[in-house]
Amino acid sequence: MDFVGFLLTQCLNAFSQAAVLFFIACGLTLIFGIMRIINFAHGSLFMLGAYVGYSTVAATGSFWLALIVAPIVVGAVGIAFEKVFLSRLYARGDGGAYLMVTFGLAVIMGEMIRVIWGPHPHGVATPDILRGVVFLLDQPFPKYRLFLIALGVIAAISVWQFLERTRAGLLIRAVSQNAEMVQALGTDVQLVRTCVFGFGCAMAALGGVLAAPMVTAFLGMSASVIIDAFVIVIIGGMGSFLGSIIGSVLVAYVQVFGAYYFPNMALAIMYLLMLVILVVRPGGLLGKEE
Amino acid sequence: MNWKVGFIVCAVAACVVPFVSPNYMLTVIIEALIFGLFAMSLDLLVGYTRLYSFGHVAAYGLGAYTSALLLLHFNLPLPVTIVLAVAISTAIATPIAWVCTRTHGVSFAMLTLAFAQLGYAMIYRFKDFTGGSDGLTGIPRPEGPFGLDFFQSKIGYFYMVLFCLLGSFLLCRALVNSPFGTVLSGIRENEAKTAALGYNTRAYKRVIVILAYAFGSLAGALYAPFAGFASPELFFWLISGTVLIMVIVGGSGTLIGPIIGGVFFLMLENQLSEVTDLWPLIFGSVFIAFVMLAPQGIWGILTARFKKPAVLPQGGADGETTSAPS
Repeated sequence: MDFVGFLLTQCLNAFSQAAVLFFIACGLTLIFGIMRIINFAHGSLFMLGAYVGYSTVAATGSFWLALIVAPIVVGAVGIAFEKVFLSRLYARGDGGAYLMVTFGLAVIMGEMIRVIWGPHPHGVATPDILRGVVFLLDQPFPKYRLFLIALGVIAAISVWQFLERTRAGLLIRAVSQNAEMVQALGTDVQLVRTCVFGFGCAMAALGGVLAAPMVTAFLGMSASVIIDAFVIVIIGGMGSFLGSIIGSVLVAYVQVFGAYYFPNMALAIMYLLMLVILVVRPGGLLGKEE
Repeated sequence: MNWKVGFIVCAVAACVVPFVSPNYMLTVIIEALIFGLFAMSLDLLVGYTRLYSFGHVAAYGLGAYTSALLLLHFNLPLPVTIVLAVAISTAIATPIAWVCTRTHGVSFAMLTLAFAQLGYAMIYRFKDFTGGSDGLTGIPRPEGPFGLDFFQSKIGYFYMVLFCLLGSFLLCRALVNSPFGTVLSGIRENEAKTAALGYNTRAYKRVIVILAYAFGSLAGALYAPFAGFASPELFFWLISGTVLIMVIVGGSGTLIGPIIGGVFFLMLENQLSEVTDLWPLIFGSVFIAFVMLAPQGIWGILTARFKKPAVLPQGGADGETTSAPS
């Protein structure tokens, strides 16, 4: 019974980690699908979300408000960046240029955050209602992590339904398949791109706020999370929404169980997994080879 | 030949540097030259083949750790160690190149990143061997062959680094101007068309990735004995991004541009970080400005002034002044 309980909590642990990773990976993959952009700044936007969330909590005392404010602020930053910089690069048709501009943005944002919030980590208190643990098969499990799992599942289902069932979702899928044709049929593709980029950034910010009570808002969080997100998106297949869900769960499981069973190989296992998948399927599990 | 005169003038001017620069500056200059060499090796991929590697730091770290381990465990002369380190690193790079060139575009960038991260993870995994997070310290700088102690001095080391940089530059220049280099330019401009002409583009890409690793590992192999230590930071992925910035800002596809970019940025960083701690902010902004407004880089801007407009585009065959077309 002990082992089953242990297994259950570890699995739930992995799912809660997958939920946080999903928030950042899903934005990354949607943006890639529609713009063929690998957004290097996505980790920094995640970090910005955590810091904005911290400030909102510090000012108003409400974690729930932070969950609304941070995505709006970071989404606005993303839209501004897309309008000012990225939209000018589409005509160039050189994927490397995006990679580099967003890398530049990542460097700048990391530095701005250090200047504004200072070098020290900022803790964000877990809201009262989610504090404490529940007992599952006699094993304690934090309520907050259960909340993360629930939120992750809700978010995954809503985005999926949005993409499949709504007209806007249809447009997004159409643009990712053939942007020129959609443009020719009279849709403002540029507007779709801006909205998707903003939405992706907002999702990352949401992930940042949700991660903050567990890991605090600190300066290194962008670097660690962006690499994980890349791995997820590559494993799942770039541009594939379902792939980002599968990738998040896989990576979270590898991290949680790897850290337990092979503590000094945990890092390497994730990259090995990615290498194997890329060698067997260069486009990722659900992606097409570009 | 115009460029030969320029090359000799630059080489001679560089040889005089140790006698006119203050001692502490010489350390910075040597590090800058090593980074210039590193940036140039990445240009083979980015500028000539348009393979954006986001894990080129793997070459640097590999070279540094190999030379450090060789120096710590075997008492070989320094130049021999460096040649050996490059040979071993190149051998390790061969399977990496084989895997990475199965993909292209963004997947290539991410695969190279994955290998660099794997290297980073391995440093921590094999702690007993690599020193883990402490790194390797106390790397000796042994006497040269036949009891020469020239390389133990800072000035001697400077000349060795300069020799490696200039030699690598000449080799790379000959390479990109050769028929081999022309095929690389063909891959850059249109890989499908080059393949349709009967060239095995994957084999060409494999070779250039291996060569880029070789020159990158030379830079790393020069760095470790000079600094006297090797830390996991040498595998850190941000360095890959930084060196990519240097290549772009210097002028990709020119070889000389990335050298200037690398040397210039490292010296500037050294000067500015004493004055302001906002260095990354300036660095990032300058970089974005270059990508947006001047993708041809510093060297492209400099040479555009003196270059007569070509009647017909040369298709990137002349490696000397080609900048990546937009």
